[in-house]
Amino acid sequence: MKPAAFDYVAPRDLKSAIDALVGAGGDGKVMAGGQSLTPLLNFRMARPSLIVDLLRIPGLSFIELRENTVVIGALTRHADLEFSDVIAAHLPVMAAAMPHVAHLAIRNRGTIGGSLSHADPAAELPMLAVFYGATIKVEGPAGRREIPAEEFFVSALSNCLEPEEIVFEIEFPVLTSHTGWAFEEVARRFGDFALGCIAVSLELTDNTVSDARVAVMGVDDTPRRLREAEEILRGAEGGARTALRFAQIVRASVSPADDIHVSSDYRRNLIGALAERAFNTAFARAVGAKP
Amino acid sequence: MSKDEAVQVSDLLRPRHVGMPIKRTEDPRLLTGNGEYTSDRRPDRALHVAFRRSEHPHAKILRIDTEAAKAALGVVAVFTGADIADDYKPVIPFSRMPSYYATPIMALATGKVRYVGEAVVAIIADNRYLAEDALELIEIEYELLDAVNDPELAVAKDAPLVHELAQTNVLVAREFKKGDVKADLASAHIRVRDRFEMSRIAPLAIEPRSYSAEFENRRDSITLYTSSNIPGIVRDALSESLDLPGNRLRVVAPDVGGSFGSKGSLYPEEILLCVAARKLRRSLRWTADRLEDISSSSQAFAEIIEAEMGFDKDGIAIALEADVIGDVGAYSIYPWTCGLEPVQVVSFLPGPYKIQSYRGAVRAVATNKPPTGPYRGVGRPVSTFVAERLMDMGAKALGIDPLEIRRRNLVRPEEFPYRIASGIIWDKTGFVECLEAAAEAAGYESLLKQQRAARAEGRYFGIGLATYAELTGIGSRIAVAPGMPINTGSETAKIRVDSTGAVTAAFGVASHGQGLETTLAQIIADDLGAKFEDIRVIQGDSDAVPMSTGTYASRSAVLGGGAAKHASYILREKIKKVASHLLEASAEDIDVSGGFASVAGTDRKVTFKQIAKAVYSDMRTLPVEAREELEGSFTYDPINGTTAGATHLVAVEVDPVTCFVKILKYIVAEDCGRIINPMIVDGQVHGGVAQGIGAALYEEMVYNEEGQLVSASLVDYVIPSAVEIPDIEVLHIESESAVAGGFRGMGEGGTIGAPAAIANAISDALSPLGIDVSTLPMTPQRLFNLLENARTNVKGSQP
Ligand SMILES: Cc1cc2nc3c(=O)[nH]c(=O)nc-3n(C[C@H](O)[C@H](O)[C@H](O)COP(=O)(O)OP(=O)(O)OC[C@H]3O[C@@H](n4cnc5c(N)ncnc54)[C@H](O)[C@@H]3O)c2cc1C
Repeated sequence: MKPAAFDYVAPRDLKSAIDALVGAGGDGKVMAGGQSLTPLLNFRMARPSLIVDLLRIPGLSFIELRENTVVIGALTRHADLEFSDVIAAHLPVMAAAMPHVAHLAIRNRGTIGGSLSHADPAAELPMLAVFYGATIKVEGPAGRREIPAEEFFVSALSNCLEPEEIVFEIEFPVLTSHTGWAFEEVARRFGDFALGCIAVSLELTDNTVSDARVAVMGVDDTPRRLREAEEILRGAEGGARTALRFAQIVRASVSPADDIHVSSDYRRNLIGALAERAFNTAFARAVGAKP
Repeated sequence: MSKDEAVQVSDLLRPRHVGMPIKRTEDPRLLTGNGEYTSDRRPDRALHVAFRRSEHPHAKILRIDTEAAKAALGVVAVFTGADIADDYKPVIPFSRMPSYYATPIMALATGKVRYVGEAVVAIIADNRYLAEDALELIEIEYELLDAVNDPELAVAKDAPLVHELAQTNVLVAREFKKGDVKADLASAHIRVRDRFEMSRIAPLAIEPRSYSAEFENRRDSITLYTSSNIPGIVRDALSESLDLPGNRLRVVAPDVGGSFGSKGSLYPEEILLCVAARKLRRSLRWTADRLEDISSSSQAFAEIIEAEMGFDKDGIAIALEADVIGDVGAYSIYPWTCGLEPVQVVSFLPGPYKIQSYRGAVRAVATNKPPTGPYRGVGRPVSTFVAERLMDMGAKALGIDPLEIRRRNLVRPEEFPYRIASGIIWDKTGFVECLEAAAEAAGYESLLKQQRAARAEGRYFGIGLATYAELTGIGSRIAVAPGMPINTGSETAKIRVDSTGAVTAAFGVASHGQGLETTLAQIIADDLGAKFEDIRVIQGDSDAVPMSTGTYASRSAVLGGGAAKHASYILREKIKKVASHLLEASAEDIDVSGGFASVAGTDRKVTFKQIAKAVYSDMRTLPVEAREELEGSFTYDPINGTTAGATHLVAVEVDPVTCFVKILKYIVAEDCGRIINPMIVDGQVHGGVAQGIGAALYEEMVYNEEGQLVSASLVDYVIPSAVEIPDIEVLHIESESAVAGGFRGMGEGGTIGAPAAIANAISDALSPLGIDVSTLPMTPQRLFNLLENARTNVKGSQP
């Protein structure tokens, strides 16, 4: 289980990194924390001729509040997100999700840019990007472009980047008017990829839902925002009936696949139960948080 | 000959170390990264080996083209099975069992491949990277054959054959019988039966298998460093196979990072490394990567058991019948044979119970999967699962509490020694005492109350019991594996005081996590009278003693410990004699303790160093005939061995949404005889239970219909981590056994009890839904299916 031979460069700026990728003629691969790429290399499932190590590029690891967005540098480690006051205060769902990302040792190495680019359908950060409606900023030979999270993830383990493009930062809008939220995840073991996971956040006006955000993962090829489910929450009141109806819609909106661990029926059943729980928690939080 | 009574006296006089929770001597080195595992070896200019392994479960090898690989950068040699056929003799896992077919063990697949992961070609190169590059250049032309996956189909007349020469896929068939089971079952008040299954699982040690064959040109000899727990057996087998005498073939197990059974057999790669090292006159290294380890190390269980138990109206189990099919994989293993696991299932099925009539039949069936082999608990995790489920099913049918039904059926203290229906004899052990202790510690009544409260809230709360017995520390009268011709009934200790006064104790046992360097030294400290800190224990080295087999089958405390006691006793007598000269006292008045010999009741004493000097260096103090070498050597054989037993009690809650099983309480009450080190005993129980929880809830090797392994990584082969393991309370019933020191073996017990106890607890939790657990592991998916079925059944029954 050793990788095939490759060349290695560790450029000091983004431009040189892109040049190196261009030089490799489509056969180069960037490496950030290496937590997902290294196993692929060792299994020889990825055989790039060139590894471009991003970790020596300064200025790409930061968490900043800019007006109503939190901007995160692509090389920011999972552990930095987990322990950030800015995240805790402004992206509470992300703060709740981060301890579920793998194990501490992996969170110390893994980066947000790497997690998004790796596009695992059961990974938390891609789902959070979709949930918050994040904008993924990338730079390539043709310059910079901005990609909405929902367009970034194409299918399991594949994103919409060109081979020479590099993610350098991600903008997460703060859901300022949402006062209630919930994050529910079930994994086989602590730190495993999710069997089912849902995030819900709500804005309440006069004890009825005036706006809702819902995203799920682990139940489709990519993380997904469930607009239909959001829609049925709008105008709804709290309580068991709404929660049940919401769960039904969520269950009907996903198309999980069978895998070695559980069947699609299991995942569908689970996500429904998690949806119910998440709605109730989010609603209770919103009621409790009312000024 | 053993003189066990003689060596027990000293304990009573001076048990200063045995029984103490002394911190493990090996831990500082292991925990600070100063251990030396096989892959830490750095032999001179070693070459690295990589294996091209079969991607097919069953195929004829038509042609292997290694030319391109031979020409690749850094490659020194490429060997196929044919290339080395004349360099060694295949190893035959022989057994006296009738109707047994011994499949020969070859270093590389020859003629056919029989499982995915079987080694076909070896590449030897300057480093592992280049070796793996060259693997891709090997071309193998195969003719694909139908794979034999399902052991129940494999016994059919027209099934494809894994071994044509065997003319059948049934490699062993046996039957144990006592009494008229048919009649007794027919006359039973109630009968319970089910089809049970335990999936194939992997022992999965954290250190993958690793070998370093170190060639010494000067003496034309090989030292094989191996991550093995049977270095002595490996030495003897390789010596035969390579025709290399033991003084030119040394096998050493250095620090070994766990085995759980996976390092307890001879492996083709061990043969290959030695053959190739000799051919190339170079040192060779190989360490399995996780994929290789998971797909080519011996696996476990894979058994289907149809079983039935009959009870009288008082809940006394009167008859038991079982038919077992063991899916043993493609080859019989050395030295244990493919009968090891499945045959033990039927020989231990009656367990600690006084069931009068019994029929247990077993077939070990070859399939296109890796061989099964020893796994902590061998056979008994499965036999206990089946017997304990049946016991609970009987209790339920009769309306008797599970605790009470066990009370009625266990062998009672006054009934030992007791021969159970399968022929095994239990010596006096605290079966009932363990049961009662576990129930008391758990607060059994209050657990029942908790359960009633939980049920009233619609929660699935269950209590599970499992009681079992095992044979440990087996002596020469009983073969560890059925019909196996090699002696596993003795172990040797050689303890000496050298000219510097230092104490070195050499053993052939091979600790791979058990802490034998500590416990053996504790015994020696007491029985020799040496200072604990001054004793160095050498183990796992075939050069240390003339013959040894290693550490397995819960034998090292009994056999190694017994040898240590006897050898200590011999050496202590010699020390006393010298001391009596030096101190001018009679030998009977000399007391040896803490590294000193002293005249009892006085302050006159001499150190071991002074004694050594008098014997070895000083020409004047002692008469020549009194300068006897300070060594005690003893080969101990407990003849029959001893019994160990335990009760596990577990409380669980099943979450009907996630279908996860949460363990709320876990109690083990065990009898391992006289405890040498309670901290180590607790650790062994904790680890064993964790392993058993893996087998009960998580672990499963999945082979798909094409015979491909689809759980080949730790993403898909799920083992519990520390977070998933509950607190485990361990209670000790210390009833002394009859062997030296009063010890019993205890390394495996945790794994034996846990699957059964958890299966019973889940069944109890779900009994309102009429669910019985008959398959393990009880994964979320299996529970989901059971719950779905139960829901539809309930719906179906309400029009
Ligand atoms: C045992 C284990 C358990 C795990 N469990 C979880 C889990 O529960 N949840 C979870 O979310 N994740 C989990 N992970 C994955 C982990 O979060 C990884 O850290 C993450 O997916 C990848 O981040 P990285 O920085 O290590 O990326 P790398 O491994 O370095 O790269 C991953 C991929 O992204 C590309 N890439 C990296 N950075 C960029 C960039 N800036 N621009 C463009 N492409 C880039 C690489 O070329 C590569 O294709 C687990 C990993 C392991 C090993």
